[in-house]
Amino acid sequence: MTDPVQFMSHHTAVEYAVPEPSRLGVHFAEQLARARIIGHKCPQCGKVYVPPRGYCPLCVVETTAANEVDQGQKETEDYVQATLLLDGSDTTLMVTGLEGIAIADVRTGLRVEAVWAPEGERGSVSTGIRGVGLGDAVKSWRPTGEPDVSRDALAEHIL
Amino acid sequence: MRDVAIVAFAQAPLEQEPGQTETLMLLPTITEALTTVGLTRRDVGFTCSGSADYLTGGTFTFVQMLEAAGAWPPISESHVEMDGAWALYEAWVRLQHGDVDVALVFASGRATAGASLRETLTFQLDPYYLAPIGADYVSLAALQAQAVLEHTGRTEKDLAQIVAQRRRDAAGNPHAAVSGDVGVDELLRNDYVVAPLRTHDIGPAVDGAAAVVLVAGDRAREVCDRPAWIAGIDHRADPHYPGVRDLAQSRSTAVAGARAGVADGGVEVAELTAVCSPEEIVLAEALGLDDSVTINPSGGALVANPVMVTGLVRIGEAFRQVHDHGRRRVLGHASSGPCLQQNLVCVLEGRDA
Repeated sequence: MTDPVQFMSHHTAVEYAVPEPSRLGVHFAEQLARARIIGHKCPQCGKVYVPPRGYCPLCVVETTAANEVDQGQKETEDYVQATLLLDGSDTTLMVTGLEGIAIADVRTGLRVEAVWAPEGERGSVSTGIRGVGLGDAVKSWRPTGEPDVSRDALAEHIL
Repeated sequence: MRDVAIVAFAQAPLEQEPGQTETLMLLPTITEALTTVGLTRRDVGFTCSGSADYLTGGTFTFVQMLEAAGAWPPISESHVEMDGAWALYEAWVRLQHGDVDVALVFASGRATAGASLRETLTFQLDPYYLAPIGADYVSLAALQAQAVLEHTGRTEKDLAQIVAQRRRDAAGNPHAAVSGDVGVDELLRNDYVVAPLRTHDIGPAVDGAAAVVLVAGDRAREVCDRPAWIAGIDHRADPHYPGVRDLAQSRSTAVAGARAGVADGGVEVAELTAVCSPEEIVLAEALGLDDSVTINPSGGALVANPVMVTGLVRIGEAFRQVHDHGRRRVLGHASSGPCLQQNLVCVLEGRDA
């Protein structure tokens, strides 16, 4: 007498074709190849969707080429983003912009000071929490002209 | 029971841009359905949708489609991994609770994207006996076709006549993928897909989207000049394994039809989800439809099968028979599963004020 079947292997697979991209998806990719990031700005609420979806899910209206806007970085020239250690602080501020100094002159230990945004343009409490580091409150940092800090003085800090 | 009526139906155009998203097929369709009765998305108290991730192989794809309904601020909604007709059933049940008056039902599917439909639909079968041998829906429908021909004494020519009639019926239907005059002899020269079914016996699978608006009570009369009242609605299932059924008959359709009250006053028109031609014979018999009943004046699923949408479209076409053509009592039918395994029957009535 044979043993009853208790286990049975069943290997299964379905082959899916990669879906044909939408016209909007193709257009977005073509613009990317031209180093351009585009989005669609909702004609009702003004929210910008990158990549564009062809509609605003909040207002539930379709968006078209007429709603296309450029997105991406504002910088058009080479630039530096620095990590800063505030005097008296043991944690760093990351991705901060510098002004008033040539890129070749930027170096570890450079002393800088904050260029504050005008009062009233420093963002709300909520944007400060969401933003990186100090958000919009500080526009950038500029050299003070003081002597550099030694590398040893920067060694012990928390990222 | 609370009186609930269909007040609007809209269907996305058959021709869509290449790679069109289901969300963008649905968005204008939902807007059209609501706008025709002066409603907005804000008026909707409950939303229910039907679709299947297996068609395109995406995960949780219904979440993206929900954006077409407007889901912010948050809405009350549900989804069925089934034809939209079952979403309509859930919406009808939800309206029975009495606290909301307006429900939106929509469905979408891209049967031409992703994998072969015959392959994909094997996943609805039992995983022990049928799925491993790749028993696709056309092969199973062919077994049913053979059983129907033996049971009724009809022939392949009779099946071709049904198809020819549906294609003529579909002449004015912009959603038909095939339509117009074609001779029976010409059809019988088509190749078999799986004998005795030839290419014309199987409704062409297409991409599709549709939306229906349900409104309860007096409000239905306020927004619509001739609502189609849901006089009865029921859905039933036969055993999952086709081998234990008499495929020449559909017990589940007969029970659903009886409980939906088809016999209580008869119907003038029946829109049936017969994706393969022999299914129309099985369904007509199960529902007791005689020659006085007009079957599938839209052409039915034999002229276009927007998978996951087809059943909702049948109910939508039945609504049009009441609303646009002044019919008094009609039925819409939806089906799912191998060989008409699951069936839903919805009887609609036009009532003179």
